[in-house]
Amino acid sequence: MTSASSTSAFDDRRPLSMSFRHSQSGGPSSPHTPQHHLRSNNSSFASTSSSTSFRGEEDAIIFEFGSRWLRAGFEGESAPMCVVGCGPEESRRVGDYRGWLKTNNGIDTSHPASVTPEDWTGAYELWKMSLRDMHLGLIEDKIERMFRETYNKYLLTDAGTSRLVLVLPSIMPHPLLSSLLSTLFSRWRFPSITLLTTAPMAVIAAGVRSALVVDIGWAETVVTGVYEYREMASKRSTRAMKSLLQDTGRLLTRLSHDSEASQSGEEITVNFDLCEEVASRFLWCQPKVASKSSPDQSQQQATESQEDSGETTDQGTASVLDEIVSLPSPSAPGNTYIDVPYSKLTEPVEKVLFAQGVPDCELDDEEKPPPLLVYNALLSLPPDVRGTCMSRIIFIGGGSNIPGIRQRILNEVASLVQQHGWSPVRGKVIEQQRQRLQSLRLSQPPTPAATQPEDTAESPRSPTERSTSEIQDDEEVDPVEQKIRRNNKDKDTRPPVQGILREVESLGPWAGASLLTSLKIRGLVEIEREKYLQHGLAGASRDLETHGHAPDRRSGLRAGDRSSWTLAGWG
Amino acid sequence: MSRPFPYAYISCPCANTPVPDPSKKRRSRESPQKSNPDQPKPLLPIDDEDEQTFDPRSPRANFSLYPPEQLLYCEDCHQIKCPRCITEEIVCWYCPNCLFETPSSMVRSEGNRCARNCFNCPSCTAPLAVNTLENVVTGGTSQQGPWVLSCGYCMWSTLDIGIKFDKPTNIRTQLSKMTEATPVRSRQMSRTFGELKSPLSTYSSIDEQFPPPGETKPAEDSPDQPNIPLNPDARFNALKNFYKNQISATSSSPTDPLGMDFGSGFSSPGALNRIMSLYTSSSRLSSLYGGANKKPKTRPPVMREALTASEGLKVPAPDAEDAVIQRIAGPDCGWDGLASLEQRSFQSPDVRFVEDLLPLPVLLRTKRSKRCKSCKHILVKPELKPQSTRFRIRLIALSYIPLPTLRPLNPSPHATSAVPAGSTATTTTTTTTTNLDALSPLRPVQLLLTLKNHMFDPVRVTLATPSVTPGRVASKVTILCPQFDIGANSDVWDEALQGAAAPTASTTSTSTSTTATTTAAATAAAAAAATDPRGSRSGGLGMYEKVAEAGKVWDKGRNWTTVVLEVVPGTLPGGVRRQQQQQQLQKPKKPSVVRGFDLDNTNTNTNTKSDSDSDNDSDSDSSGDVPALDWSGQASDPRQQLQPDEDVLEIPVFVRMEWDSENQIDNEHAVGRPSADTVKRELAYWMVLGVGRIGRVL
Repeated sequence: MTSASSTSAFDDRRPLSMSFRHSQSGGPSSPHTPQHHLRSNNSSFASTSSSTSFRGEEDAIIFEFGSRWLRAGFEGESAPMCVVGCGPEESRRVGDYRGWLKTNNGIDTSHPASVTPEDWTGAYELWKMSLRDMHLGLIEDKIERMFRETYNKYLLTDAGTSRLVLVLPSIMPHPLLSSLLSTLFSRWRFPSITLLTTAPMAVIAAGVRSALVVDIGWAETVVTGVYEYREMASKRSTRAMKSLLQDTGRLLTRLSHDSEASQSGEEITVNFDLCEEVASRFLWCQPKVASKSSPDQSQQQATESQEDSGETTDQGTASVLDEIVSLPSPSAPGNTYIDVPYSKLTEPVEKVLFAQGVPDCELDDEEKPPPLLVYNALLSLPPDVRGTCMSRIIFIGGGSNIPGIRQRILNEVASLVQQHGWSPVRGKVIEQQRQRLQSLRLSQPPTPAATQPEDTAESPRSPTERSTSEIQDDEEVDPVEQKIRRNNKDKDTRPPVQGILREVESLGPWAGASLLTSLKIRGLVEIEREKYLQHGLAGASRDLETHGHAPDRRSGLRAGDRSSWTLAGWG
Repeated sequence: MSRPFPYAYISCPCANTPVPDPSKKRRSRESPQKSNPDQPKPLLPIDDEDEQTFDPRSPRANFSLYPPEQLLYCEDCHQIKCPRCITEEIVCWYCPNCLFETPSSMVRSEGNRCARNCFNCPSCTAPLAVNTLENVVTGGTSQQGPWVLSCGYCMWSTLDIGIKFDKPTNIRTQLSKMTEATPVRSRQMSRTFGELKSPLSTYSSIDEQFPPPGETKPAEDSPDQPNIPLNPDARFNALKNFYKNQISATSSSPTDPLGMDFGSGFSSPGALNRIMSLYTSSSRLSSLYGGANKKPKTRPPVMREALTASEGLKVPAPDAEDAVIQRIAGPDCGWDGLASLEQRSFQSPDVRFVEDLLPLPVLLRTKRSKRCKSCKHILVKPELKPQSTRFRIRLIALSYIPLPTLRPLNPSPHATSAVPAGSTATTTTTTTTTNLDALSPLRPVQLLLTLKNHMFDPVRVTLATPSVTPGRVASKVTILCPQFDIGANSDVWDEALQGAAAPTASTTSTSTSTTATTTAAATAAAAAAATDPRGSRSGGLGMYEKVAEAGKVWDKGRNWTTVVLEVVPGTLPGGVRRQQQQQQLQKPKKPSVVRGFDLDNTNTNTNTKSDSDSDNDSDSDSSGDVPALDWSGQASDPRQQLQPDEDVLEIPVFVRMEWDSENQIDNEHAVGRPSADTVKRELAYWMVLGVGRIGRVL
């Protein structure tokens, strides 16, 4: 953990003149010709270095692929034009209008068959990352139809004339990537397809250069540390929206069979759409952890300190717990409503995302709860990067829309930091040693090291606390940092916010890609049509390091020569 | 499937040509055959995929099956074209509500939505109407008050979200002004960002970089109030401006990775200087001038991150979501107060409550011309005007391929009553008309398949079907006359002149005369469909009391031919347990296409049974010792229970048609008289006939 958590320059406290000068710094010192290429439609005047931009007059079209949704729109727009799913309704035959027969009162499946949770959600997925049971041909069909309908219904432009930008997760199985690209290239005449990664795009859309991106997605929760637009580390967990929806489905199934008759408790009999509707409307999460919910005693004292500060704000959510909300009855939606205590609707979140009731030691590697994942990801970053990233935490993905979840994760990470510090070493012996050391030190005044993790934990809570902690922090002075600051005096660099847990909101990966593309920045992975059709994915050059672009490799941004193409991080 | 039974779908042949994967092509050349477990003989050419039975139940089939009327036909490729094998070009954009055309230059700037008064209700998607609130008639002039948009279906109106309009025209611009400026709304934005957002601001790039102090003052005020929630739009624009400024500030340095691709080299005088000295600064010269060039400018400025809200940074307050949580639980919200996923799909991403929904301008639609993907010939070209529904070119497939229609061959009520019940007790006594929504399992049904030719050439058709339909519910199918001719779509007068009695046919199948001799035993099974309304159209005159005979067409007209299909629906899981059905189910996954006259396919079944059993036992992995299907319907494993639509009886039929084409020159005299310059054409495709739903009870 870096010591330079000098938060004196937290955004809001800046004198006006300073910030004015700041915006002035956009204009460079020398007289400057305005850059034509930044205009939206005048790119023909600009002498851009890339050859494709001459023909790339038309705005590029950006598609963001998730495992369930496809977002599409034009570059330079703030939000995608449409979000298209690929559920069973979308994969019906042409001319099969069964979906429209659905009336308000009572879907004809009055007796929905019980299905296993996997099948229940599986019908709604475009792809899974595990290709074992996947039918690639089916995925190609789905992608083709989704693209065609998106173009015809929403984008209203001729498919294949303009450049295509795909925002993809940073890990894609090659067969999947290959069939995706083959489908697009062979079906339409896209001149080139640019691939961009999700996490750095989210960082760009937040206006920062480094961040910790927490993507609570469909199949996985992925925590990615991005430093200077480069992915540094990423941690994954299966505690994500899919299992959350499955658990909500089980909850609704249990509610519909009021007599707790569902013996197995595994199969789901409720309608998926209804369940997703309930999940998106009513699932919520307590921003503060109640102390009793913490499973082990060691966490007890950690949360205790937070109790007294959190108690006052907790009042609001505590009163909410007794509320009763009414949901459409899962057995007969549209006709009857059932009353459910509001507190029950936070149970799936607690159970699935926060692994409530499961001791840490029983968690497998791939099912760590997101707070632990965030902590581990931060821990695996180098301390300087960690300090930068921890104060720029970005939440994206469908799960980030659950009210309260962001604050909850931040709070839990704070308590983890408070409990363990930044050390991966755990265990009784270590604890004993630490205690022995502490007893040795007790005679001395409390060290800053002991207080520091505490105030990082407290800091996001209220500004008053923070200001007190700053005083202590200022004792630590980094001579190198000071020197740099002295040298850069003319440049009014404000010391960046770091070392505190802070959330930064992003406009989402799609908006990031739109921003990036509208600034005419090329991606590192730009696949030309002819080259791909010659060799397919095998044509990508792998020895990128020899070209000297290695540092840029993971950022997804490209510089220089494009005689050969590469898959960069996907390769 | 949701279409009313019976129906016919046609599978576009393009489904058989998989997406070419360039890398796979290379791989397959290296290692010739990745042996497919389905294909026992690895030496077969890859083309034998065509020989596999089309399975209408496979998940991919949904993407290749089309109703016949939706298919096109390319006259140059002589191939059916489905929406997957055509390319489309937009001819015009129009609003489906007001039918006004939008010029192509305006489409994008209007966000692909109608810029006029057309709006859809955000909560129920019905079109909204512009209504006035007050209509005061003072003297001769009527004073009309503020205007609202209201939905006639769900009674939603813009009053619910507190919006009134001053004029009844140009509502979209009024609305966008309001939603950008109102401070009450959650999606508010400060006025300065409204200015940034205006399209003019992108042109005034100089102003952006050197903003006059008077203008920037209000923008810089915003950091004082730390948490102005910016509209995502405004944030996006703020971020964009921020990045532009940063890039122009840093792009003078060539080392900056972001500056490289910006054409930065030419945009600033400093860089220009560098370029001009490119040629002078050879090694000799630079040594001459000392290190003048070597000492570079100061460190390249590094792009920084956004620091203030005005630059697009947003740091949410820690307790921002508490209010949302409480509001959701609150009494005035409830289920209906929260926006559904469907309602949210086109709204701003942070909309959560119904009160935040905004009326949606109607999405534009397009008229598109379609071209064949392989030969680029135009297949469909609509007229330009949005109001016109006519086409200049339209090559629909139905004018080239025979239109299939299917109907049950019902024993007519008269026939059943006439026949003595004792002789044919099994079939006649139960039902008179076949209920296609509940076909009784294991009871033979006879269906009439009519193929109607729209071409001006006579066509010779060969039908083939697997003797047992693929899937778990195996139904036996027999086409009684798989090979027949269809007459040309000649002038209607020709038929009239030839006389309606017996259409001449020159095929192997003997023409059935209308006065077929009937035996008493077969009457019930094959009585005429007098009750079917379509019977009168294609049936002809005296169609009752006719027997379906193997190898004979049922009926024949000027340009249509009807043959009989005999179907024995299989049993469903949970239905009747029968030994024979189980054996059929365990047939191997490779049902060979049985072409033609296999009326008695029980022999083949029993033959294949013995070896398929041994195959299947090794395959059935998960279920272990348990028999592959639990017919009692009580299976705990849901996979073994009836899947949705598994009870639909669909028959894949392979259609192969041959005809002599005259190159479309003179159609009238082409009937039956092939001249020298005719071209033999052939077209083959899979067709799926949906017969009905198999009932659970016998």
